[in-house]
Amino acid sequence: MNDFLQTQILTELEDAVGRENCSIKEIDKVTHSVDYFWLSRMWADRGRRMPEADFIVSPKDATETSKVMKIANYYKIPVTTWGGGGGTQGGAIPVCGGILLDTKRMNKIYEVNTDSMYIECGAGAIYKHIEWAANEKGYATMHYPSSLTCSTVGGFLAHRGIGVVSTKYGKIDDMVLQMEVVLPNGDIINTSSAPKHAAGPDLNQIFIGSEGTLGVITKAQIRIYEEPEVRRFRGFLFKDMSSAFKASREVLQKFKPSVMRLYDEAETASLIKKIVGVSKPGAFMNIAYEGVKELVDVEEKILLDTFAKYGAEDLGSEYGEKWWKEKITFFYPGHMMDLPQMFGTMDTIAPYDKIEKIYWAMKEAVEKNFPQAKFIAHFSHWYEWGCMIYDRFIIDEKDVPKDPVEAMRLHNAMWNLGVRTAIANGGVVNDHHGVGFKLGRLMKEQYGPAMQVFEGIKKSLDPNGIMNPFKLGL
Amino acid sequence: MNISEKAKGIIDSCRFCWMCRHICPIGNATGLERNTARARALGASMVVRGATELKEISKNVYECALCGACTNNCMTGWDPKVFIQELKTEIVLNGVAPDYIVGLIEKYSETGNIYGKKACSCLDSLYGNGGKIGLFVGQDALYNVPELVKKVVELLAKAGVKVDLLKNQDSGAALWFLTGKTEETKNAAVACANALNEYETVIVYDPQDYKLMKHEYNEWNVEVKAEIVSINEYLLKLIKDGALKVKKGNNEYTLQDNYFYVRDLDDETTAREIIASVGVNKEMLLKGKETNMAGHLIMNEYMPEVIKEVAQNRWINAKNMDCNVIVTESPAEYVLLKATAPQGAKVLSVEEMLLENI
Ligand SMILES: Cc1cc2nc3c(=O)[nH]c(=O)nc-3n(C[C@H](O)[C@H](O)[C@H](O)COP(=O)(O)OP(=O)(O)OC[C@H]3O[C@@H](n4cnc5c(N)ncnc54)[C@H](O)[C@@H]3O)c2cc1C
Ligand code: SF4
Ligand code: SF4
Repeated sequence: MNDFLQTQILTELEDAVGRENCSIKEIDKVTHSVDYFWLSRMWADRGRRMPEADFIVSPKDATETSKVMKIANYYKIPVTTWGGGGGTQGGAIPVCGGILLDTKRMNKIYEVNTDSMYIECGAGAIYKHIEWAANEKGYATMHYPSSLTCSTVGGFLAHRGIGVVSTKYGKIDDMVLQMEVVLPNGDIINTSSAPKHAAGPDLNQIFIGSEGTLGVITKAQIRIYEEPEVRRFRGFLFKDMSSAFKASREVLQKFKPSVMRLYDEAETASLIKKIVGVSKPGAFMNIAYEGVKELVDVEEKILLDTFAKYGAEDLGSEYGEKWWKEKITFFYPGHMMDLPQMFGTMDTIAPYDKIEKIYWAMKEAVEKNFPQAKFIAHFSHWYEWGCMIYDRFIIDEKDVPKDPVEAMRLHNAMWNLGVRTAIANGGVVNDHHGVGFKLGRLMKEQYGPAMQVFEGIKKSLDPNGIMNPFKLGL
Repeated sequence: MNISEKAKGIIDSCRFCWMCRHICPIGNATGLERNTARARALGASMVVRGATELKEISKNVYECALCGACTNNCMTGWDPKVFIQELKTEIVLNGVAPDYIVGLIEKYSETGNIYGKKACSCLDSLYGNGGKIGLFVGQDALYNVPELVKKVVELLAKAGVKVDLLKNQDSGAALWFLTGKTEETKNAAVACANALNEYETVIVYDPQDYKLMKHEYNEWNVEVKAEIVSINEYLLKLIKDGALKVKKGNNEYTLQDNYFYVRDLDDETTAREIIASVGVNKEMLLKGKETNMAGHLIMNEYMPEVIKEVAQNRWINAKNMDCNVIVTESPAEYVLLKATAPQGAKVLSVEEMLLENI
């Protein structure tokens, strides 16, 4: 873009959001060019600049957002929405330049409504801040992803995020009542005043998971819950994963624990040993159950009886409590995988009759084709019908190509293989990290002709294709 | 870039980590992605790798208040303040400091303080009384809220303690904040230590000076022979000894924990005990080490709108918990909370609270 035109657009954007909320400074461009996507981090680590936006704008509400959209549509320049930048799939990276719309000024907490049990807030609110707002009134959001402190309400909605107590309280798409969205043409819309209706398809669910390709979520009503009277933990060691799956499926037909996390033998022997201290061979499983004490007593009996039937060794509550205390420690630098290692989480979800098959197929594919990679996995977020695999590959520094182009090649080859194996065995492209830039190419392989539904919605809402290009395979 | 290996290590750890962004009072006030420990580290790492220039990140470096919330929150124990302070020295020595920072340094050179002010003549009678106990109030209080200084002296007098206001009220805190560990900062520290050493005991009023004397002076081998005691510790002892007679009532007071006390000096209890001696502690959700900074007078000179927002955010915290009377431990937080107080809310320094209950 020539600097004359760029300056003209800049002044229009400044007019829309205020001069101080519009930047073309290098520090702002650099800061918004690297998210939690491994490739963007690797690129920066090697001293290369990632693609940068031309303008960084921070609107304060839907009205200002709408003005930005109108400018972008007129000049046909891309708009990439950035919440916290904590996404792992490169979804917030402005790969085509243009406008980077940072939502964090839309962080107002409008209301903690304890009659209907929701918080109404701007979509740029950091999730931890709405948790604080709930806590101040004696409630909780029960959405506890490891990125609780990093990411925004809008980011979790846009990515279909999930937290550690999801088995009882649900995923983010279960936790939202209503949303305000600014469409690519600048129209401001509200989804229906309540979910679970029969007034056509659920508009919420069209925008949840759309990763900034269909509009900008500017406000949301997010559910809050009573703090449980008790929350108890119990650690178990299964001799293999098959018995753990059978035991867990049976428990889930009777009640819903809040936390359910089963670690494969490799992750039990590595991360769990290091952080929680379990040193026996087998598959470690951590369960939490919570709520009103009398009910929890009954749940505990069901859990212990069922797991004993499948030969689980009861490790008591100590490991589980330690895990709860340390649950985010894993994500700080120096604890988990970090550069210069190459790593990735290829989470997928499937019904019980496919989940084990997917695990073994992915493990075999990765280990056979990339012997330099370690493969570890755990299974969290369980339902009556199936669960999620959080499987990771890790390649140590010595095997990661120094040349960033070669490193990208290896990285993408591993992802192609892992995700294709999941799809071939009945899994989906992703469970809760989204698709972003990283996996866009695999969406058509997943959906086949069904992809035209997404493409049709995209085309009608965003005919100029300005919203987050090259993301979600759109 | 001439920074230590330790600073480089912290930069490389923080540059891709988002875990402490929620607690940064500046980032929460501005909503700007660059106001995070990770963004500052990413910028610095790009400078180290030759992918951008120091001048491009210099303004952002000065947008950090050094409040230590990120450090306190970090499970791995990284301390972004370390690289921030080293970067400031680099920025100043390389002549790429923002104009407004250069302006403050120049004012300091001309007048001896960054505010370019003269101390209030209302304090004249408090200097050089020849006592053994010195009072060090620091430059924030001296040049911005002399009335607080008078209150301290008044309160101490009620306990029979006569203090001598030190002539030198420059601990080096302002230079430390603006330039990091430069020769000039150390020279100010040495001059201050010499002034302190003329007394047996010095009561230090501002937590930022107290922290510098307790931590950095030691690190820089600046010797302080006088006994240094914080105003809170001194007052609590007077109360416990019965020298300061206070009345216990049922009024609720909410402590605005000062970040230097709770994070750097590990003291969450002294002020709470003082409050408990006259009333009831009513807490905010973010308290103790988790406190939210509520004001910064040096930054208020160059980013007043943001600092105002920082203070307003703290009032939101207070109001959400129905806290209406805030008790401050530092002049900076006193001034800014007072300037932004919503209707019906009140700000008191610890001394003012005690004077109300004598
Ligand atoms: C340490 C760490 C741990 C993590 N653990 C978890 C976890 O336990 N569970 C989990 O689900 N995720 C986890 N993640 C991933 C990440 O936090 C989520 O994907 C989160 O949803 C990203 O939110 P964000 O605000 O950071 O979004 P960003 O990264 O800024 O953006 C993500 C995508 O959403 C779009 N977007 C953002 N805001 C809006 C909006 N208001 N309207 C429209 N589109 C928008 C962006 O364009 C982009 O495509 C983790 C990430 C980190 C860094
Ligand atoms: S201080 Fe700790 S939590 Fe904050 S960015 Fe650095 S490593 Fe992450
Ligand atoms: S020291 Fe305080 S102001 Fe600076 S980055 Fe950390 S939290 Fe933010």
